[in-house]
Amino acid sequence: MLNITKTIEDGRGTLSLEGRLDTMTAPELEQVVRDTIPGLTALTLDFAKLDYISSAGLRVLLSAQKQMNKQGSMKLTNVNETVLEIFEVTGFVDILTIA
Amino acid sequence: MIIPIKGRIDSTNAAQVEQELQAQIAGQTDLVLDAQALDYISSAGLRVILRIRKEHPELRIVGVNSDVYEILDMTGFTEMMPVEKAYRVVSVDGAEEIGRGANGTIYRIDKDNVVKVYNNPEALADIQHEREVAKLALILGIPTAISYDVVKVGDSYGSVFELLNARSFAKILAREPEKLDWCVEEFVKMLKLIHSTEVPAGKLPDMRETALGWAKYMKDYLPEEAGEKLAALVAAIPHDDHMLHGDYHTKNLELQNDEVLLIDMDTLAVGHPIFELASMYNSFIGFSELDHDIILKFQGFDWQLATTFWRKSLAAYLGTNCPTKLREVEDKARILGYTRLIRRAIRRKGLETETGRAEIAHWKSELLELLDKTDTLLFDKNELKIEAVPENLEELLAFLGERLEATDCAPKARMQLEVAVEEIFVNIASYAYSPEIGKATVRVEVSDDPLCVTITFIDHGVPYDPLAKEDPDVTLSAEERGIGGLGIFMTKQLMDDVVYEYKDGKNILRIKKSI
Repeated sequence: MLNITKTIEDGRGTLSLEGRLDTMTAPELEQVVRDTIPGLTALTLDFAKLDYISSAGLRVLLSAQKQMNKQGSMKLTNVNETVLEIFEVTGFVDILTIA
Repeated sequence: MIIPIKGRIDSTNAAQVEQELQAQIAGQTDLVLDAQALDYISSAGLRVILRIRKEHPELRIVGVNSDVYEILDMTGFTEMMPVEKAYRVVSVDGAEEIGRGANGTIYRIDKDNVVKVYNNPEALADIQHEREVAKLALILGIPTAISYDVVKVGDSYGSVFELLNARSFAKILAREPEKLDWCVEEFVKMLKLIHSTEVPAGKLPDMRETALGWAKYMKDYLPEEAGEKLAALVAAIPHDDHMLHGDYHTKNLELQNDEVLLIDMDTLAVGHPIFELASMYNSFIGFSELDHDIILKFQGFDWQLATTFWRKSLAAYLGTNCPTKLREVEDKARILGYTRLIRRAIRRKGLETETGRAEIAHWKSELLELLDKTDTLLFDKNELKIEAVPENLEELLAFLGERLEATDCAPKARMQLEVAVEEIFVNIASYAYSPEIGKATVRVEVSDDPLCVTITFIDHGVPYDPLAKEDPDVTLSAEERGIGGLGIFMTKQLMDDVVYEYKDGKNILRIKKSI
């Protein structure tokens, strides 16, 4: 289960994620990112309520990052320790901006 | 033929008694002397009996009062021929029926006592058997009641038990359905106790032997191939020395004050638990599948409650709510359950009535369908065989969670195990059978000291070693990084050990993590 809450103001968007970002839910985030990203200069992903991430989720983050590198910036906030460890072992700490 | 003998038989009337008896028994067989009204017998009378016995070696004396029994015992007659004592006569007219089993019915005869009346009128051997097995069970740690007296009830025999202020679980469920979960918990606790009790060799009948007999019987009523498969499935169940109750349902579990007691012990046996689950399935579901009123008459609660009780009990017994796992074990139980129901119905002339034929046809069609898709009657509660499709991931992870529940697994380690399971399962779903769909078997083992989780994945798909693939370069920038290979790489990083082998046509991947 994944709940995504979206807010956009002056070209700055925030997606708050709640639940699990896995094989089944990653396509939902991918769709939301695709719909939201055009015209954004800054994208924030709030991970405060995200408990779980697998490689399917990482792939969506990677492609969002690649896109935002072209048009502005992207950052992740409130990443919990278990999710952070996944970013560490996969080298994602170096390609994502984790606030 | 039963002939009464009465009053006193001694030297004054022995000749006359003998003459009368000889006149009655000429040409008769299966001779029984009913001594209920016999007050005294002297040696002259005993000689008459000896002479009759010469021509009728099957002769028995029944209903012997204690004075006469003492004479027969002193003179060696009780060893030489069957002599049955007179039994206290008990009436069950108007008595409350509190239990009903395969071999008899249990009535409450007063506040503190119940009597089990046996269906078979020649029940003395059965009573003796039940008494012995109940004693055995008690010694092995099963809380049960042991009969203290044998009585005569009409033409049958009964054994009397003390059962103070007790209520069956069937009655509790019927009257207080809100106690369902508590009943399930106690019912399963007792079931696990029974199944964890090891029985010394040779003390109880082997259920496997009995079931081999059913399978043999069924060969005449099933298509050849199905009959052979059934026999092979039963034969493949290994011998097991653990106890089975044999007729475990809610009328055979009593609550006495705060103590839960198991009763109706005559079906006690040893064997694999699938035999027990089969008989439980029949009690709650199988018998009533076509006519839902049967369960109401039998247990006093309705079909819906029976179904719920069975499902919850099975889930608690296996320690899982995973629908695939529950269906797997239930289907195995149903194979033996239907086998038993069909055999029973045919032996009770079910093929001669319309209802009987409908029931047999229904059970048979279910049985044939199950036989077609089953390759073993064994089950392992730590193993889940499931279709390898991403949609089943949630169910698989829930199953993993249940297996980890009893451990002190920290949330972080649990999430890492979940990630590894997801990556491998999705890998199998994507590649093993593509474009077809196949099954994966996932086995979760938790070992103590040090606490360690081992998860094994087995599929029959194309040989594929996910570990052979080169690790992605995790130092590259976002632009340079591809999207492949991350899942298996993460699994290797998060687990202590990941091993692959291809063996007997199977991909076997094993991951291990200390927690």
